[in-house]
Amino acid sequence: MPPPRVYRSEALTLRKMPLGEADLIVTFFTRENGKLQAVGKGARKNSSKLVGHLEPLTQVNLSLARGRSLDVVTQAQVVTNFPPLKDHLDAITKGLYLAELVDGFGSEAQPNPALYQLALDTLHSIARDPDSDLPLRYFELRLLQASGLMPELYHCVECRNPVQENKHRFSPNVGGVLCLDCSPAEARIRPLSVRALKVLRLFHRGRQAEALGLRLNPSLSQELKTLLASAVSYWLEKEIRSTSLLERLRADSGVGA
Amino acid sequence: MSTNSIPSASPSLVKLITELSKLPGVGPKSAQRLAFHLIRLPEADAYALANAITTVKQNVVFCQECQNLTDSSPCTICADSQRDAGVICLVEDPLDVLALERTRCFRGRYHVLHGAISPLNGIGPDQLKIKELMARLTGGRIQELIIATNPTLEGEATAMYIRRNLDRGALKVTHLARGLPVGGSLEYSDELTLTRAFQGRQEL
Repeated sequence: MPPPRVYRSEALTLRKMPLGEADLIVTFFTRENGKLQAVGKGARKNSSKLVGHLEPLTQVNLSLARGRSLDVVTQAQVVTNFPPLKDHLDAITKGLYLAELVDGFGSEAQPNPALYQLALDTLHSIARDPDSDLPLRYFELRLLQASGLMPELYHCVECRNPVQENKHRFSPNVGGVLCLDCSPAEARIRPLSVRALKVLRLFHRGRQAEALGLRLNPSLSQELKTLLASAVSYWLEKEIRSTSLLERLRADSGVGA
Repeated sequence: MSTNSIPSASPSLVKLITELSKLPGVGPKSAQRLAFHLIRLPEADAYALANAITTVKQNVVFCQECQNLTDSSPCTICADSQRDAGVICLVEDPLDVLALERTRCFRGRYHVLHGAISPLNGIGPDQLKIKELMARLTGGRIQELIIATNPTLEGEATAMYIRRNLDRGALKVTHLARGLPVGGSLEYSDELTLTRAFQGRQEL
């Protein structure tokens, strides 16, 4: 039996692009079907009933009709705008960084409810504390986990022996921690402090409230940012464009984690 | 099949199709249709189009004041001494100037950013005419800056970025009201629009 012509979906709006005179192509990450591109007909007109419901960083309930190449949004209703996320420039920029990563790691027609829920929870966390970088760090590690790319944090990825305190390093491209005796030829090796390893393990255990309550000093915060950015960009295999604006705002305000 | 692989096609026709397919919204098939349409045009019409493209590239420049596109700098709006030089309306796009001019209710001058901050599309503050705006605002000649970026996520982010980086001093900074469009309905409005409409309500 063919699939129904009209279907419903709950989604997070990631980005939109103009199409033709007044239409939009919107990229969603849906709870039921993973990443999805659909057309919002006339959605750029002020009089459209879709206007305002298809803005990026919005959780929406959608009705869609199957089209020949792209499906068409027939109805959209905002569930939440993650208030007060859109009143704060740092929060918007962090949200757009999250959207870029979900767009990069999400796959079309492959549901990933864990990643969907992680993205929603992280946007709420960013809205609650726009100045903190911790929600993004937690998101980056859990994103890798939800995508099946979790770095190994307990055993050396080369010799498989448990890593010992202060005798470990990190390599994003061989997949996690290395002991001091193992140096695979192809590994890009970075130093890994014991405190950073403990924070990563805490993130891995998924205790979000505990993780987001941490108070990190600037050097530990910077170390985690560099480590996780290297792992994320290794798997994404392309430049993360929103990073430059994040760095610019951070430099302007001198804000750490 | 790519145009380059058509063995019998003329190289100049292939070049025209290639150039047309670089236009926004024009795919290879549309480019072919447009190219064949241009070939069938009377010679005068085809040359008129070619001349228009050449002239626009030679003559159109950014206005030294407002950064709008113009044939002569300063543009007619900036050169008009009847307009209030102390009020600047900040817009994203030259088309926004046309829309605002149609209202005939604004008699100040403009500043065109040529886009909005959109990190996912690689557009940051340095790709916009923000430095030029800041230069215009120094010196205390401007009394009011009206921010008229689009009420989209990108437009709002741009407005916030500019507000944050302004050395305000005595400068009054306002932005256009957010809320319900004329001809719209409450039922289909999203929560953010309704919230903004409540926040911006006016006494009758």
